[in-house]
Amino acid sequence: MSLSINDYLNQFEAHQKAISFISELLGFDASGLITFLVFATAAFVVVNVMALIGGLGTYAERKISADIQLRQGPNRVGPYGLLQFLADGVKMIMKEDIFPAQADRTLFNLAPLLALIGVFATLAVLPFSSGLTLTNLNIGVFYLIGVSSLVGVAVFLGGYSANSKWSMLGGMRGASQIISYEVPVTITILSIVLMSGGLSFGSFVESQGGFPHQWFIFHNPFTFIGFFVFFIGMLAETNRAPFDLPEAESELVSGYHTEYTGMRFGLFALAEYIEVFVLCGVAAAAFLGGYKVPFDLGNGVVFVEKLGLPAIIGKNIGQVLQLGSFLTKTLFLYYVVIWVRWTFPRIRVDQVMTICWKYLTPIALFNLVGITLWVFAFDGQSIWEVLSHMGGGAHGGGH
Amino acid sequence: MFENTLFFLSAALCIIGAAGVVFSKNLMHACVLLLASLFGVAGLYAVIGADFLAASQLVIYAGGVVILMLFAVMLTGGSSENSNKFGIEKIPGMGSTKTYVFAGFSVLVISFTILKLMANFMKSYTKGELPAFSSTVEKIGTLLVTDHVLAFEISSILLLGALVGAAVIARPRKG
Amino acid sequence: MISLSSYLFISFTLFVAGIAVMIARKNIIAMMLGIELILNSAALNFAAYTRFINNNLEGHLMSLFIIVIAAAEAAVGLAIVIRFFQIKETIHIDDAAQLQS
Repeated sequence: MSLSINDYLNQFEAHQKAISFISELLGFDASGLITFLVFATAAFVVVNVMALIGGLGTYAERKISADIQLRQGPNRVGPYGLLQFLADGVKMIMKEDIFPAQADRTLFNLAPLLALIGVFATLAVLPFSSGLTLTNLNIGVFYLIGVSSLVGVAVFLGGYSANSKWSMLGGMRGASQIISYEVPVTITILSIVLMSGGLSFGSFVESQGGFPHQWFIFHNPFTFIGFFVFFIGMLAETNRAPFDLPEAESELVSGYHTEYTGMRFGLFALAEYIEVFVLCGVAAAAFLGGYKVPFDLGNGVVFVEKLGLPAIIGKNIGQVLQLGSFLTKTLFLYYVVIWVRWTFPRIRVDQVMTICWKYLTPIALFNLVGITLWVFAFDGQSIWEVLSHMGGGAHGGGH
Repeated sequence: MFENTLFFLSAALCIIGAAGVVFSKNLMHACVLLLASLFGVAGLYAVIGADFLAASQLVIYAGGVVILMLFAVMLTGGSSENSNKFGIEKIPGMGSTKTYVFAGFSVLVISFTILKLMANFMKSYTKGELPAFSSTVEKIGTLLVTDHVLAFEISSILLLGALVGAAVIARPRKG
Repeated sequence: MISLSSYLFISFTLFVAGIAVMIARKNIIAMMLGIELILNSAALNFAAYTRFINNNLEGHLMSLFIIVIAAAEAAVGLAIVIRFFQIKETIHIDDAAQLQS
């Protein structure tokens, strides 16, 4: 069962005792206050850890690209150059803060903040583990699609407000690309909703298992295609190469953030890296089994029964394992995203739209119909179950 | 407590955004303020337990309509000259004193009419016990494909027609 | 605090703002912003009645259809605006005075 962080903590007696103790101390029912404090702390921690991951993302990008191109990469600041992103941050804060003449100041200030708001709001529903989810909204994925489209508005406003031709072209490219690729991505997610029978990330993950053959990506042939449709759409939605047309250095100077300097540019970059992480997390939760650990180690029952540990420790070990599982899958996808960026050349503007509307959208629609038929015909069983029922020698599948 | 806070914030965002749309002199700012107002409406939906509606509001307005509006603003202006070859103003004003006075009087008349109509209803309305919240997604889905399936299909055909129509109308023609 | 009256008042404010925008502005896109506000006020009313009066979710469906109609209206309306701008090089509402160009 997937729980929000407060529901998870309420399972434990120690937490209940702490609440009643504080209630006596303060003289009123403190459960609401504690709920709020726990939630605020969790949100604070998640946001800060994510900002750290965003910062480390820039480091990882440089290090991996250096590895691919047989270079050293950043290696001066801190061990293995790990603190490079802090040095970059200091550099950005100390830079001169330039407003272009004739820029629309309000929107110029608003755009990076809007991008950051849109990205951080999506963290509320990301399932890190079965206990560490800020809130298990019953419309989680729908909400995520809605707030993450704020990034498109931010890109557009950033391009408009700078009053520069490069920025404007980049912003228009970015917005059109983001709203176009929302179509295949949403349809692919819809097919996952169809299989799991719920819009929340909890139901996504809970209807999968710990082993790869229980994941949705290997559930049937259509979801296997669907995963790649989602992944390509995700690259385009986050403006990553080979779809980084909005910030194509060789055509537009730097796209929608040409005129941004200092920390405003930093906020845009941070938003991009965190959005990549969030969408990788969505891909992991929807297709790769999310936080599930093999042999049901995640609920911690095994540790309690075999090793004789107290229930609270067993459960928390399970949570840590689940968190590790989720982060492993997400960071692997993150690595693939960076790998793709430094491997493929950038494609042309017309090719971007061709890929979206002539290939990905029809494939996604075909997948949706196929998955509907599959769920109807085989009663939601995966291809492995169908094959094992047919008995040994069956080949192919897909019908 | 939490609901009241959310309600206040959403209502303030909604009303301030709407007022901004009325009084802003800059079309781009008006679009962004409209986005704020629509987010406020989504928050108001969330307060009364219409979760699916709130999310649809976010998806459709933030992701679709407002970006479409911004695109239209970008595609229909942005020249350095203020008048075109016919001698008319290229980027039209956002209203003058005359239009605002006229709008003010019309709004007064309309609002008094509405308030008069609402007053009767308000007097007769008594606040009863409200049921607890529950997820509306499944119920809405069931209603959409059982009782309201005709309206659902008609709206899908409407959307398809709008899609094709928009593509045909906006297509640049030769000559 | 959260009552039908407050919801009706907010929806009333949105409606009045939309009417004012539609009358005061002379820019077609700005007028469409007003139309969006008016449609939203209607949708908000339906949702509020569902919550506070009868709870049978038909109001939610109505709001959903209003959102759909708003999206379709925005798409077609803006396409017409862009076409009009291609022909006349203006989006002033008073210039849209001819049936045939």
